[in-house]
Amino acid sequence: MSQFAPLIAAVTRHRGVQACLVVADEDGILVDGTAHVGVSTSAFAALTASLYRKAARAAESAGFGAVTYFELEAERGRVMAAGRNGLVIVAVAEPRVNVGLLRVELVRAAEGL
Amino acid sequence: MIRHSVMVGWADGPLKRYVDDARLQFTVLMHRSGQVLAQHGFQSRMDVQTACALSAAINATADSLGTMIDGAPFRGLHYAGAARQMHLAQLHVGDGVLLLLSVFDRESSLGIVQLYLDELHAALAASAPADEDAPPALAEDFERDLNTNLAALFGKR
Repeated sequence: MSQFAPLIAAVTRHRGVQACLVVADEDGILVDGTAHVGVSTSAFAALTASLYRKAARAAESAGFGAVTYFELEAERGRVMAAGRNGLVIVAVAEPRVNVGLLRVELVRAAEGL
Repeated sequence: MIRHSVMVGWADGPLKRYVDDARLQFTVLMHRSGQVLAQHGFQSRMDVQTACALSAAINATADSLGTMIDGAPFRGLHYAGAARQMHLAQLHVGDGVLLLLSVFDRESSLGIVQLYLDELHAALAASAPADEDAPPALAEDFERDLNTNLAALFGKR
């Protein structure tokens, strides 16, 4: 069990969460995580880390400082991510998930990264 | 004898797509011997020749070192520099092994490169010429084949 297991468990406990991954934001490599069958974790990790990096650069260019949280809403689900210390914790969730609660959980989990 | 064909051209399409998807700066596909098959981003034939020779040497070294230390060849290499990173992969295509050198900066990442490498691998396997349709790479023809391929990629400069 990795040091991130309690953080991942806290996020996946929420109803509607399909995957929770800890990813290195610079290289997009999966560090730890858990996912339902059907979620391609390594591909997802690489692409989400890339999104997070670009969001961070956009925020920096706009003079907004560091990105603490970002959310992507799609037709059949949501991707939510929070990062710190070169790591990003990402949750993949169904549309019915309680967004507010999950956001609080992710931001809290990111403090433990 | 190196079993794989030395024809250039067949890998250009898949490699172009890989470069675009993975946002690479340079890439070169070659035989394990260092014989170039396709490239993107290099401006001169000498640079390609050097990159191929060094990549083939790195691969041979990792093979031998891995066998000596761990009982099996080391596969794949990633090096992160200050501004650029390189990734050297082995691709089993047909009955041969090809090497792919990929160079990227902060626009991409190791995870992205590995992700699109799988797609490239499948595309190369689908478009590789059959052995009977293409001349095999023979050690005695190495220099002639190398010059032919570099001329095809860069013209006779």
